[in-house]
Amino acid sequence: MTTLVEIRDLRKTYQTGSVRFEALRGISLDVEEGDFAAIMGQSGSGKSTLLHITGGLDQPTAGSVRVGGTMLQAMSERELALFRRAQVGFVFQFFNLIENLNVRANVELPALLKGGQSRRDIHRRCSFLLERLGIADQANKYPWELSGGQQQRVAIARALINQPALLLADEPTGNLDSASGEEVLNILRQFNQQGQTILMVTHAASAAAQADYIFFIRDGLLVDQMPGGDEKAIAQRLADLR
Amino acid sequence: MHAIWQKIWADLLHRRLVSLLILGTIAAAAALLTLALITLFNLEAPYDKSHAELNGAHLWLHFKPGRVRAMDIRQIESLPQVTESTGRQFSYTTSVRFNQQRVPVSLRVIPPEPPRVNRLRLLSGRLLNPGEDEVLISRDLRDIYHLGPGDQLEILRADGRRVTLPIVGVVYDPMYDNYRSSLPPYAYLSEDLLASLFPDKSTWEWSLGLRLADPEAVQTVLEQIEAMRTVTFIASHTDWRDVRSSAIFDAQMAFIFLSAFSFFAILATVLIVVSIVSSTVLAQIKQIGILKAVGFTGQQVLGVYVGQYALLSLLGTILGFLLGLGLAPLPLKTVTASLNTAYRPPFNPWTMLIVFVAVPGITMLAAMTASARGARVNTIQAIAVGGETLLKKSFWLARVLERAGAPMPLVLGVNDVFVKPLRSILAGINLTLGVMGVVFGLALSGTIRVYRQNPALLGLVYDAIVTREQSSDDRARRLIAQAPGVEAFYGEYLVEAQTLDGRLLKLRAVEGDMEAFPFHILEGRFFQPGSSEALAGKGLLDWLGLKVGDSLTLVLDKDDGPQATWVIVGEYPEPADAGQRLMVSLSSVRPLLKHTDPSTYYLKLSPSADPQAIRAFLSPRRESDLNFTLMEDVIPSTVIYLQVAIFALAGILIGIAMVNILIMSLLSAQEKLRVVGILKTVGMTPWQVIFMFITSASFLGMLSIAAGVPAGLVLTRNLLNLMADFTGFGQISVSVGKAALLALLPFTLFVSVLGSFLPARWAAKVYIVHVLRKE
Ligand SMILES: Nc1ncnc2c1ncn2[C@@H]1O[C@H](COP(=O)(O)OP(=O)(O)O)[C@@H](O)[C@H]1O
Ligand SMILES: [Mg+2]
Repeated sequence: MTTLVEIRDLRKTYQTGSVRFEALRGISLDVEEGDFAAIMGQSGSGKSTLLHITGGLDQPTAGSVRVGGTMLQAMSERELALFRRAQVGFVFQFFNLIENLNVRANVELPALLKGGQSRRDIHRRCSFLLERLGIADQANKYPWELSGGQQQRVAIARALINQPALLLADEPTGNLDSASGEEVLNILRQFNQQGQTILMVTHAASAAAQADYIFFIRDGLLVDQMPGGDEKAIAQRLADLR
Repeated sequence: MHAIWQKIWADLLHRRLVSLLILGTIAAAAALLTLALITLFNLEAPYDKSHAELNGAHLWLHFKPGRVRAMDIRQIESLPQVTESTGRQFSYTTSVRFNQQRVPVSLRVIPPEPPRVNRLRLLSGRLLNPGEDEVLISRDLRDIYHLGPGDQLEILRADGRRVTLPIVGVVYDPMYDNYRSSLPPYAYLSEDLLASLFPDKSTWEWSLGLRLADPEAVQTVLEQIEAMRTVTFIASHTDWRDVRSSAIFDAQMAFIFLSAFSFFAILATVLIVVSIVSSTVLAQIKQIGILKAVGFTGQQVLGVYVGQYALLSLLGTILGFLLGLGLAPLPLKTVTASLNTAYRPPFNPWTMLIVFVAVPGITMLAAMTASARGARVNTIQAIAVGGETLLKKSFWLARVLERAGAPMPLVLGVNDVFVKPLRSILAGINLTLGVMGVVFGLALSGTIRVYRQNPALLGLVYDAIVTREQSSDDRARRLIAQAPGVEAFYGEYLVEAQTLDGRLLKLRAVEGDMEAFPFHILEGRFFQPGSSEALAGKGLLDWLGLKVGDSLTLVLDKDDGPQATWVIVGEYPEPADAGQRLMVSLSSVRPLLKHTDPSTYYLKLSPSADPQAIRAFLSPRRESDLNFTLMEDVIPSTVIYLQVAIFALAGILIGIAMVNILIMSLLSAQEKLRVVGILKTVGMTPWQVIFMFITSASFLGMLSIAAGVPAGLVLTRNLLNLMADFTGFGQISVSVGKAALLALLPFTLFVSVLGSFLPARWAAKVYIVHVLRKE
């Protein structure tokens, strides 16, 4: 097994006016290729910050992040954009689709930006993903015509169109009813079984139970780690963190 | 109320950049309007103003040498109609030399102190110093021969000795008619100096300028004076109204173009203010929803926005008004140069009133309608989507481009133009106006160039004019026919005539190689030489209510003169008398009048002709009186000022269009931050973001060209012809360089890119996490 994500002593300090706030205070963790890892913690504990930095959306104050062969610190805006485009896919709590593009255009967008593939191939991959996610019949609809669960599935398709090494999901079920949330988790699980590495932030024990292992974060520090599977044990551990 | 004020201030400060840009736009619009109004008001009757300021004479009498007595002058001055007089004036006509040229001038005596009646206005240099041997020149000598203070005139004295006199100043004489007068240009000197040059006072000419109680009664007074003696003692006279129409003719082109531009500027002002204010208010509608959610009533919301624009528009109008006053000399230079009214910063309360009512009024009206729309919007919807209903589908052109394999940022950029159709339409209108302004400027300057290259279009079909004083018609014809480089010529005798109902006009009676001249016939055909057919100026047809095909009977020479009838077979562009002249065959008047010998000859020169050689041939000796004028010398240089003025105004419009693009891009960048965040998340690079924004602006720019070029041409054509009709000038054919129009495309793209680059860069630099967190 090779390590896909290697995070060492990661620190992030926000400066708002004269107020400094340490969101991450030295986190180190590894995610192996093919793993489905979850991150849990209280609201404000630094989970999203960690995910953003891992995906190259934000820069750390100190420490290092390696994803595949790429060292993320000290990269230019453009290099980070090219990295995100090729290596990672993002899924957010609020789907963040583009309103005036239809489903197919939203999904194909990262591939068209990336270039280097024929339109036919992109089209084919898009159709394949929509098929897998069960929304092939919605391809020509616009985001506002879809339910929340369907929109999140479009977002997953968009995240996977470029076959990224790493899929990052920030509370992907947080804005869905439990049935839709369940479906989305099943989908993530299925992709993981076919080899997709996933790092997911969640505060729901049921979601975290789907993961191979779970990192617990409190006040910007990694405080614990445990295997997934047992939802009750996870809920208990989360409660212990308080 | 307090809450409303607080919100107004908070908004203005929070949106500092946008507020500043709107302020700038309103100021520019106010400046444009101020300029346009000042221009229009000052074109109105500048000659009258000048004439009044200089207490100009209404009637100037030039007496026949030796025929007039001092008692005649006293008798004329005591006529009941005459209110003031210049008193007897002395002059002497001779030729002067400078730079190898010889030109006849009338040397006129002026008193040491400025007189009460018909003062001169100093244009440059200084007035005469008492006791010095120096002269002033009229502005015609300056304009035609480029003389000025520091140059010298050489004069042959009565005793045969040559003296040189320094020119110390250039003056404007309100009674010198530079178009109709057969009088030579004027130079002014002291009586002592004239007496030392030409001591025999019996050779001096006498003239007299009169101010009349009724300035329109020139003709009646003239008849009374002529009736005083049985002998004809008046050689010629100058009617102040003729001088005025000559002066106005000189400014006619300028007037047509500038008033056309002024109307355009006013139109632009209205549209610009309306579009910019409405699109900004619409962009703030999301805010309106939030305001309503926290308890503002619809009227209070209205108050907030109208209040903001009231402040902005008042401040902007003050700034713009001052700027307009400052820039006013620019377009007015044309008029003041041709009319010789020295420029004073004009302060017209009407200008101020109109500007201060119109600009804030239009601004507030636009703000009111737009925010009333906003106030009606459903609160939830306003918060969610920001008022203007977003177009939630992709634009067909974007889909076509995408399928054709265009780069994604380009596709998205084109698509964005249609996300907020109303804002895009408003911005597009603005940019279109800018394009129209440039097209207008180009079309004007193109037209001016065509008219300059082909003066026949203006009725100037000849290359040079020769006038004679003492020489006989025969001698003049003989010399002209033999002169080197003269290809053809025709002679003209100007006949005074009146219609049966007493309207006065002048007849050009012509004879010679007419077919060699490229007369520009607007309608009908040229007359048959020798027949009683005539060509009429457009102004004449309008004035008398005639058309081609009608016949016209005129009384020639005097009230009881012979009558003759002509059939009007064509219409031509007549450059003089506002087009109110008739051109006929000289043979049709010859049997009716005693003296019909031409005194003016119009020449067509071969391309290789040497004007200096012709001049030397025509007047080999000093006292020869054949006066040769090349037409190049007489095309008004005011045209140059005009072009400068028009391009300055077009520049303001372009500036406004650029600011507008900037505002539009800024607003859309502010609104699109979240989308930009998403696009960057999925891998759009900063340059691709910039490219996307620039594409939107450029696309709009190209649409504006597509709309603005034809609209600009149509507008130019209609405005120019409207103005030309007013002045009896006839149809103007608008021409514009193809290359210039083509250059408009890259230029507009450049303006669009420049206007959208800063907001685009700002959007490209956005901190993704920050915008994605703002849910
Ligand atoms: N741009 C920012 N400026 C200042 N503080 C921030 C910023 N972004 C996040 N924070 C703070 O950092 C802490 C961690 O935030 P986040 O990673 O979003 O937490 P989580 O996702 O675990 O809820 C929070 O207290 C948050 O308020
Ligand atoms: Mg979070």
